[in-house]
Amino acid sequence: MQAFVEEMAEILGVAPADLVPDFKLADGAWDSLAIVSTIASVDEHFNVIVEARALGDCETFANILALAKQGA
Amino acid sequence: MTLTATIAAIDEYLPAAKLSNQELSAQFPDWPPEKILEKTGIELRGVAGPDECASDLGFAAARKLFERGVVRPEEIDFLLFCSQAPDYILPTTACLLQERLGLPTTCGALDLNLGCSGFVYGLSLAKGLIESNGLRNVLLITADTYSKFIHPLDKSVRTVFGDGAAATLIRAVESDQPALGPFEFGSDGRGAQHLIVPAGGFRQPRSAATALEQGDSSGNVRSADHLYMNGPEIMQFTLKNIPPLCQKLAARAGIALDQVDYFVFHQASAYMLETLRKKIRIAPEKFSVCLRDVGNTVSSTIPISLKRDWSRGAIKSGNLIMLVGFGVGYSWAATLCRIHSGEL
Repeated sequence: MQAFVEEMAEILGVAPADLVPDFKLADGAWDSLAIVSTIASVDEHFNVIVEARALGDCETFANILALAKQGA
Repeated sequence: MTLTATIAAIDEYLPAAKLSNQELSAQFPDWPPEKILEKTGIELRGVAGPDECASDLGFAAARKLFERGVVRPEEIDFLLFCSQAPDYILPTTACLLQERLGLPTTCGALDLNLGCSGFVYGLSLAKGLIESNGLRNVLLITADTYSKFIHPLDKSVRTVFGDGAAATLIRAVESDQPALGPFEFGSDGRGAQHLIVPAGGFRQPRSAATALEQGDSSGNVRSADHLYMNGPEIMQFTLKNIPPLCQKLAARAGIALDQVDYFVFHQASAYMLETLRKKIRIAPEKFSVCLRDVGNTVSSTIPISLKRDWSRGAIKSGNLIMLVGFGVGYSWAATLCRIHSGEL
């Protein structure tokens, strides 16, 4: 889990400590390239291929975690 | 001994004009050159001139094959031209190339409108023509000029695609061992909207309305006349479909994936290639990454990589090679091949 948080922090351009569940994705570098990287990262760490559209609808880091765990 | 199709020679041609990461970065200051290289694996992309068509690039690649003497124009029995940028709505660009290249009028000529899967589809057609119809030499030309579809302010595609062409000679040889195949194919038109030039065909002709430019949430600008790529959807499609495709092909050939000596995937982007490589668990030294100075050349990425990896010794004579193409359509295909040649 820690490795996933660190990878997501890098994707969003924030410090890992700042990536709490309530973190608003709009406050980080959340663009289409970040969504591409998140699909790959969730697959690598959770073995889940999340739907691109559902990921695009996420507003917080908790939303991403829920999608990943829902598919696992 | 029976006639079997084999890849005998490949040449590439890239346009003289190049687009560098420095030039892109000057236009998109949020993306420094090193970030573009890290995300795409690309430093330079070929850009066709205003009067340079895909068929011109393909012509130049085929001329290189003829000039180095691997085959003479009069020996070509069939020409396959794979491109999404034809010279005209009609006639068939392959017919124009038949005349320009000095191929005999007994030569068949056929266009294939496919993108990143097109090279593998072309190989399957060439194999069929040789092994079912007794032809000796099939010339497969892949060529595209996506730069002409791309809006200058759309960094999502401008950083990735490069113009280029490859000419591949598929030849009949006497052998009991197949050198090409089996093939696996797939298509899913539900993905059509995710990699598309919406206007310019008969479904939606170009007009003042289709030329209207709009920005997206990532700051890119395009109109319906331009190429649109939904990167997240393409990544989802690729991760879902390509690893099972490789497994299915290996199972059909009666081998395990670790018996494959070398893998040449469509060179979409370095990031996508690395994601696939890790997911399928392929060792880095067995996996082609060959796009740094060419970009994603659509249906030409596989032959360009094959030729370059062969030339630098990464692929050896007799190696079992898996070729995997995937993208626009959605369309995908994979095959196995062995190349026995001194100089490809």
